Amino acid sequence: MKIPHLCYSVRHFLNSLLSANDKLLWLLFSALLAWLPSSLCFGRYFDDAPLKFSPSLQDSPMYTLVGITDWGKEIMEVYGLTTVILCLVFLAVALPTIYILFRFRARPTDAALPPQTKGNHILEIIWTVIPIILLVIIAVPTWQSIFRQDAAVKNIHKNENALRVQVIGYQWWWKFVYTDYGVTTANELVLPENTPVEFSITSKDVIHSFYIPRFGGKIDAIPGKINKLVYYTPPLSEDAPAEGDYYQGQCMELCGLSHALMRFETIIRSTEKFQAFLASHNTPPRVATQREERGAEVFNQCIACHTIAGTLSAEIPTEKTGPDLSNFGSRRTLAAGTRKNTMDNLRAWLKDPLYFKPGSLMPKLELTDQQIDDVAAYIQFSTAKPL
Amino acid sequence: MATYLPKTGIISWLTTVDHKRIGILYGASAFFFLIFGGVEALLMRTQLILPNMDFISAATYNGLVTMHGTTMIFLFLMPLIAAFFNFLIPLMIGAPDVAYPRMNALSFWVFLFGGLLLNYSFIVGQLPRVGWFAYANLTSKVYTPDHSVDFWILGVQVIGLASLISSINFFVTIINMRCKGMSLLRMPIFIWASLVTQILLFLSLPVITIALVMIATDRTFGTGFFDPGVGGSVVMWQHLFWIFGHPEVYILILPAMGMVSEILPVFSRKPLFGYPVMIYSMTAIGFLGFAVWAHHMFTTGLGAWATAFFSLGTMLIAVPTGIKIFNWISTMWGGQLRFTTASLFAISFVCMFTIGGLSGIMHASPPIDYHQHDTYFVVAHFHYVLYGGAVMGLFGGVFYWFPKFFGRLLSETLGKLQFWLYMIGFNLTFFPMHFLGLQGMPRRNFTYAPDQGWELWNVVCSVGAYLTALGGIIFFINMIYSLKWGKEAGADPWDGRTLEWSLASPPPEYNFALEPQVSAVDDWWHKKYSAEGRKHSAPPYQPEVDPTTMHLPHPSFWPIVLALGITVMASAFFFAQWGLYIAATGAAITLIASYGWSYETP
Repeated sequence: MKIPHLCYSVRHFLNSLLSANDKLLWLLFSALLAWLPSSLCFGRYFDDAPLKFSPSLQDSPMYTLVGITDWGKEIMEVYGLTTVILCLVFLAVALPTIYILFRFRARPTDAALPPQTKGNHILEIIWTVIPIILLVIIAVPTWQSIFRQDAAVKNIHKNENALRVQVIGYQWWWKFVYTDYGVTTANELVLPENTPVEFSITSKDVIHSFYIPRFGGKIDAIPGKINKLVYYTPPLSEDAPAEGDYYQGQCMELCGLSHALMRFETIIRSTEKFQAFLASHNTPPRVATQREERGAEVFNQCIACHTIAGTLSAEIPTEKTGPDLSNFGSRRTLAAGTRKNTMDNLRAWLKDPLYFKPGSLMPKLELTDQQIDDVAAYIQFSTAKPL
Repeated sequence: MATYLPKTGIISWLTTVDHKRIGILYGASAFFFLIFGGVEALLMRTQLILPNMDFISAATYNGLVTMHGTTMIFLFLMPLIAAFFNFLIPLMIGAPDVAYPRMNALSFWVFLFGGLLLNYSFIVGQLPRVGWFAYANLTSKVYTPDHSVDFWILGVQVIGLASLISSINFFVTIINMRCKGMSLLRMPIFIWASLVTQILLFLSLPVITIALVMIATDRTFGTGFFDPGVGGSVVMWQHLFWIFGHPEVYILILPAMGMVSEILPVFSRKPLFGYPVMIYSMTAIGFLGFAVWAHHMFTTGLGAWATAFFSLGTMLIAVPTGIKIFNWISTMWGGQLRFTTASLFAISFVCMFTIGGLSGIMHASPPIDYHQHDTYFVVAHFHYVLYGGAVMGLFGGVFYWFPKFFGRLLSETLGKLQFWLYMIGFNLTFFPMHFLGLQGMPRRNFTYAPDQGWELWNVVCSVGAYLTALGGIIFFINMIYSLKWGKEAGADPWDGRTLEWSLASPPPEYNFALEPQVSAVDDWWHKKYSAEGRKHSAPPYQPEVDPTTMHLPHPSFWPIVLALGITVMASAFFFAQWGLYIAATGAAITLIASYGWSYETP
């Protein structure tokens, strides 16, 4: 067939590329192929924690398919029902398709055209009505759940036992305020067992999202808006350690550079231990050694952003942009739940916060190693509260 | 003046107004940008292959997240779809060209310059780091002080302008330029998909246009639409974005649905099952697509009634979608299936899209969405819809219509190799993302800790991504190889059903020497086969005539100049001190081009 010059130019161009520079082209291709596996070598893996490569989904602390609060359990019921229905629908599509792929292949023996079916109204009505019925089955518990949660939020003020907690997202850490007790803490949300809790969730900068998978769904922390969430905290588990049960939470909305590094921990404690937490939180730090004393001096450089209750830092009236450190020594993690709270990690963090948390407001401090060691000891040991 | 412009060579490509050439330009640009989007994805998958990798920085990763999404949607899928719209709409409705040929050229050049403008952020090292949805107030001057977000805003603005221009063009073409006898209910189903898509485009694009202007003035003049500090609302941006963004999803999937609805009948040798119902369902999807945007925002605390309403609307969309899936299955049922690469891609579209659709119904239920929102489950969901769905369907279209574009068939061997690499690689990448989502892994995380139990499935995902990349490389080899050595296709290599197969491959510049006369859906099929199903010995192919005797629109270089002017104006935002002069220069070029365009001899 004669080729009109419509496509001639493109082909001419590509042809010349291939014939004149085919070596270059193959070089490019092989470079790309070689790059894929070797790219791994450029990556640096900098944590000693062992990799488990576990196929079990439940091995994640963020596993979502468990609900241990009333709200979480209710969601799981809708979730389970929906999943079963959708799996059935998937089979209704997959099985006929697989059958077709084997049964209705073109064969050399095909003489005439197959029956030229143009449609079938009864069939089409069937697969309009059945999905509608299935959707109603999903929609009813969905709506019930939406309005039950809505009612829970609206009625919580009537409950005198309810604990009120303000959750405020910052780039990239969480502030928790126990409004009725004058206690402000960060990155560790301590809650009493078996208690209705009303969370008022907002943000001081950009949008974050507050999510504790095992307790229920997430809700966004939005600047200029307060979102409410209500549920009963679960009871302590039978094999709970002395500090309580830990549940991981994390920010789920892209909130800037270190969005991936904005975790927090939720701790369920017995009511007595929770009261003890509230009572001890604002007590002044106990400076026991000379090192800590020197550290307390150094900490005076930090008080524009950080607070330790019972010290000079608590008397600055402005709103602090850094986390409250009053009970830092009792916390299990640092840097918004991303590192274990050890002396080594704390020193490393103080030396170069931006390495651990790109874009963080916490600057690289002009401190000597001695000073870093002192201040680390101060915020690590003096602020540890008895449980 | 225009008549002096040459018909071959580089200048002819810069000045062409031929819808087929513009289609090829769109397709070539789409695959050019696919390389960008693909490499971005591979970089991200390498960063996530193990916990705490330090392969790329947080800033780069967030930039790649944004650029991958924006590139794949605006610079790969939409132009590839536009390539098919351009090439096929006039051929399928029996028209000599689109209604506004020069506007068609304008929309291509505006799109290309917009895409280059967006990717210019790579060169200056200011990648937008806010995600393709660019949620306020992360985009504000306070939280993104550099120009990265401006690149995104203006790149998308300019690209959106291109889509707006072409949507009006195609809408008018389909409504006004059908050949004799082609009533609306005799149009090929792909044309119906195109028609609904154009309507979605020109209704939804103005919303994002306004929203982008608002965010640009927020950043530049401090208007504070989205600044809660001065009474603005950050949630308002989400509403505006998704009023555009959700129809956008259907803009990407409807054309692929149309293509699959063309391909499956041809390779089953049966008409499309339930042609009118397919049209109703597509229209219903398009209509409902405007009433469900807030299902992207269930976790923002919309209030119970709004949540319930948008949940119900979203579930309703499953009904027409389900009808389509069962109608595709019924189209194949009882047929004589030929497994070419095109039909394999089309069948895989039906399967993968079903999986994506079903996980979509899960998010339609807000309680479930409270868990799945912003986890990898959603990443899995929309890749099953847009990649397993739209991209697979479009590759089916590429393999099916490539011979019509270029006169040669793509290699079936390489094609099937690519198909299986894509199928295996795609499912290996995205099915485990469901697991990661159930394990609560958040999206857009540049890294994760080793204590999260996410490493196994991340390794699997990354390996799958590398396999897909291999498939992509094979596709590019296939294209280059087949353009030169591919089998000569002839006019009708697949025994097609629609008008374009009555033309030579590639079609002559003037398309139809004789205006076709249509008396049924799939008219070409009925011209080839008798009522009893016997094939006529000599189907009435279109004759070829001397092109100089045909009246054709003249090439023009004003569209590319006008597009340049618009892009120069847009780029003024990046240069604080020179901004005014650059804007004035751009405006001058735009004005001169509009003037020249208006007074050009037709």
